Amino acid sequence: MDRRDFIRLTAVTGTSVTLASCGNPEHQLIRFVPDDDLVPGVAEFKPSVCPLCRAGCGLSVRVMEADVETVRNGQSGVVKMGVAKKLEGDAKHPISRGGLCPRGQAAIQITYHPDRLTHPMKRTGARGTGEYKEVTWDEAIAELAGQLIALADARDQKSLALLARPRRSRRLELFAEFLARFGAPAPVGFELFAEDVLRRANARSFGHEQLPTFDLARAKYVIAFGADFLGTWNSPVSQNAGYGEMRQGRQVHGGSRAKFVHVEPRMSLTAASADEFVPAKPGTEGVLALGLGHIIIRNKLRSADAAGRAGAAIDGWSAGLADYTPENVEKITGVAALRIERLAHELVEFRPSVAIIGGAPLAHTNGLFNALAVNALNALLGSVGEPGGMFFTPSLQPPASGPGFSAASHPPSQAAPASAGQTQPLVASLQSSKVLLIDDANPVFASPKAWKVREALDRIPFIVSFGSFLDDTSIHADLILPDHSFLETWVDSMPESGALEAVTTVAGPAMKPLHNTRSTPDVVIELAGKLKSPVALPWKSYEEMLKAPATSHPPSQAAPASAGQASHQPPVTSHQYQEPHFDGDAAAFPFHFLPYASQAFLDGSAAHLPWLQEMPDPLTSAMWSSWIEINPRTAERLGLALGDLVDVTSSQGTLRAPIVISPGIAPDVVAMPVGQGHETFTRYASKRGVNPIEILSPLTEAETGALAWAATRVKITRAGDGDGRLIMFAGEMRENPFEGRRQEK
Amino acid sequence: MAHRWGMTVDLDRCTGCGACVTACHAENNIAVVGDAQAAKSRAMHWIRVERYWEGDFPDVRLKFRPVMCQQCDAAPCEPVCPTYASHHTEEGLNAQVYNRCIGTRYCANACPYNVRFFDFYNPQWPKPLHLQLNPDVSVREVGVMEKCTFCVQRISAAEIDAKAEKRELKDGEITPACVQSCSAKALVFGDLNDPESEVSRLSRSTRGAKLLEELGTLPKVTYLARQTQV
Repeated sequence: MDRRDFIRLTAVTGTSVTLASCGNPEHQLIRFVPDDDLVPGVAEFKPSVCPLCRAGCGLSVRVMEADVETVRNGQSGVVKMGVAKKLEGDAKHPISRGGLCPRGQAAIQITYHPDRLTHPMKRTGARGTGEYKEVTWDEAIAELAGQLIALADARDQKSLALLARPRRSRRLELFAEFLARFGAPAPVGFELFAEDVLRRANARSFGHEQLPTFDLARAKYVIAFGADFLGTWNSPVSQNAGYGEMRQGRQVHGGSRAKFVHVEPRMSLTAASADEFVPAKPGTEGVLALGLGHIIIRNKLRSADAAGRAGAAIDGWSAGLADYTPENVEKITGVAALRIERLAHELVEFRPSVAIIGGAPLAHTNGLFNALAVNALNALLGSVGEPGGMFFTPSLQPPASGPGFSAASHPPSQAAPASAGQTQPLVASLQSSKVLLIDDANPVFASPKAWKVREALDRIPFIVSFGSFLDDTSIHADLILPDHSFLETWVDSMPESGALEAVTTVAGPAMKPLHNTRSTPDVVIELAGKLKSPVALPWKSYEEMLKAPATSHPPSQAAPASAGQASHQPPVTSHQYQEPHFDGDAAAFPFHFLPYASQAFLDGSAAHLPWLQEMPDPLTSAMWSSWIEINPRTAERLGLALGDLVDVTSSQGTLRAPIVISPGIAPDVVAMPVGQGHETFTRYASKRGVNPIEILSPLTEAETGALAWAATRVKITRAGDGDGRLIMFAGEMRENPFEGRRQEK
Repeated sequence: MAHRWGMTVDLDRCTGCGACVTACHAENNIAVVGDAQAAKSRAMHWIRVERYWEGDFPDVRLKFRPVMCQQCDAAPCEPVCPTYASHHTEEGLNAQVYNRCIGTRYCANACPYNVRFFDFYNPQWPKPLHLQLNPDVSVREVGVMEKCTFCVQRISAAEIDAKAEKRELKDGEITPACVQSCSAKALVFGDLNDPESEVSRLSRSTRGAKLLEELGTLPKVTYLARQTQV
């Protein structure tokens, strides 16, 4: 053996020894050099913003060191890095003030969800089958750029549409800016519980097209019409904080406790906390408010003139609301005349008093009237802009820091009023687009079947989703460019309500990305730079945009005018009471059907989080389930027991679910939480329960065109004994002592 | 003087929102058991929101009551434990030593508040859900009884910090996860041996009452009654 052979031989054996020592690659433990500077066992706290609803609660994220499996340059291994461990409300944030809601607590599971999309994907199977192959970011962005270049070449830029969840944020401004420079229409906002009717009403009554903020901590008397303000509505965490103050231990009014009256046909989580529960017939809330106003004006407790513009929006206001005598109001609302008299006197006696309206009363065909009536009552009570009353959170960025999107559930304020049966703006936008970008919206789940959103999607040649999960809508996407989770990227929020001062929250990443995902605003910036005709955005990154002074980049001319500016205030027109219309006649469909935002899942967008699936619903203790709430007497009449299956039938279809007997619901109303019934939404929510939105009639609020989701009537028929799918935390022990000895599931 | 940890629950502030329930899961590595096990009453919630309906529609009332381990001074769960897994600490907590627990479940039988939960299976956290686990709290395995600890890991951490800085603990310095998350500030935690602490002050309230007081368990959780404005 010569020297050369020797070296060759040792090289070969050396290699084989190395290979043998590696053995099964699953047992390899390659440790990458950590690039976080963390002390083991010591927590750091970093700011962020909760993404789950428009309240925009400020978070304090507990970050600690952990071993994370990762891939670097194609090599998988383990790296020590700082990861989020717990979300708390930021004590110094003007909205969360140190608290959080159950959904905010669970938001951390978005980041660590086992079914999160971890890389860009291109569709390989038929649409809706969920068959995708992994592609690189370069390929994915090039593909999308190619589609947009084709649109531009055909001078068809307006066929690009972006569907987003309506939020006030610079993220949406960035999208709007991109669309405007490209020549596409403004982003379309879509959300089931959008509360656009209330924004429109506030624009008419007060000149502010935004949701209100309530100074509960200093109020002496609160009357709420349907608004679930302690559970899911508007800015629940800040409203809970104010509520705690108004009940106990406050510094104002000699420490006295405020009175709280709640008006709605079903005792919600919020109504449960009320001192007085006033069930009024669905859709008559505005009449009750004007009945209160009638007495206040008639008895000269307050001057009718005090209501100003908000009063002028109501027909017959200056004449003292002659049609709204307690007797007439009793006939319409079902609330006793004497009680109306007493409530009216209390409202004036215990000032500052404030009225709140939200949720179902606005989701009738006469929703705008109901909102205007409550606005007028507030103005009459002198509670607008006064301590203990209602406010409009100011904006840091004039003009109005417009969200820069047109709301899909109603036409823009400047447009002519929508007539019933007119094409929904969401559907119209889908019908006219050839390339659709979807950012955190799920209209397939959250719109009535009659809107045929799925069918509209089928006709769009190219659909791109930025979502982190395959859901009912994104499973129809041709290309998926998954965003970072909110903890892994820059986030910002400009909440429209919840604080008396203007709030803008901007936070950097709390941790490094776990997967091969990219921040969607950064993807849009990169995409803009790749197009042939330069539509490059003025920022190199989203981070740079957030760090730049807000005024240095005024929106381009093509950006949509934001609503709510003084110049767009429509002239005051007065409104008369219109009876609410319901889909289905009372003889064939004897029950009002009331879908409501569930405490765990809101509109269903949080149904994929296992902690929320297993959280017992506060009113029923149900977990992992869908259910229908029925009054005990109604259940007895129909021969129904807890857990029995019923068929709920509207003019639009039938769904089957178990019943929960609820003492707090009117005998002619059945209610159902929204959130379950996803066709596709991760292992925890797919095909679980039923979706009440499916059987909603497409009736709209008469003037704004918003979906009247509380205006459907249904009939109930018993479908059989319970199938065990109603799971409740409360109740008898259901343990089988022999289980496990014979067989274990 | 030793601390004596206690809590007050102001039912007039509580709105039943359930933030405490999820916060407790996040802090204490409580397993999600899934629908099949939950249907067998095996879901584990160290704190729950109970509901009490009164009257018939329309004159109906609903009252919420968050219930967690009452940290009894005369705890029925302790003397029944054959292995001293369930025992009383010097600071008055009803502690559970998971390493000693052999899963007789006598303590759960003895507890009148139904706040002890048994691990029927090893907990599952499909990756990467495991990254959320709190490293300060041990993960319980199959065959072990678990319950609310008043977030003893947070108590110990604060005590160690105060000792290192050679100072006394401040009132309000320690907040269990449920207390911290409660936006209506219905929950207050502190030292009952400090007569000036907020929890002591609230415990002396005329609205105060203990849960199942007549059993003689001497709970350290005081419920402040809900009031009604007429």
